[in-house]
Amino acid sequence: MTVRVLLFGPEAAAARSDALTMDVPAGSTADAVKAAIAGACPALSPLLPAARLAVNSAFARGDQPINPGDEVALIGLVSGG
Amino acid sequence: MSVRASITDGPLPPALLGEAAAGVGAFIVFEGLVRPREGDAAITALDYTTYDPMAERQLLDLARDICQRFALLTLHVQHSRGRVPVGACSFRLTIHAAHRKEALAAMDEFIDRLKRDVPIWKKPVA
Repeated sequence: MTVRVLLFGPEAAAARSDALTMDVPAGSTADAVKAAIAGACPALSPLLPAARLAVNSAFARGDQPINPGDEVALIGLVSGG
Repeated sequence: MSVRASITDGPLPPALLGEAAAGVGAFIVFEGLVRPREGDAAITALDYTTYDPMAERQLLDLARDICQRFALLTLHVQHSRGRVPVGACSFRLTIHAAHRKEALAAMDEFIDRLKRDVPIWKKPVA
């Protein structure tokens, strides 16, 4: 399935884009999608250890399956407040 | 228990303090202002990006959790989106509680968790 991962802040700057589109096996978990990001965009690899995946505006558990149509975002170190 | 969370474009307007809720013994207003330097560099402003609607949702969930855990009377949080010039307010946290101790502890934990979990990013403007 095709997954579009939204990017923000330092991750968007590293990828030079506000989104990353990639193909992953159907039924992939959040952890699997996060791991696939490194292959799809090596510039994001150093940022991944501190980043979490959000699915439909909530942080996802690692074993949470990603479904077609889910809104996926990579949330790295934030800087509000 | 009254909880509000909002994200506003640009600098936050001056606080409207209103009347204290019944039973209030402690009232805190924390304001985060844009400093003139980020690291070694002088700046003129910060540009804030938010992931909507998750940012507002996370702020509201955090506010409810903190309000409940510390038995606060009210907790209102406001944060800016977009450009905020040096000296202006980009974040405001208003707490009413029965006593000082829980008000200060709640403020501290709220800010720590906001800085860890809420999808808001700042970018310095030279």
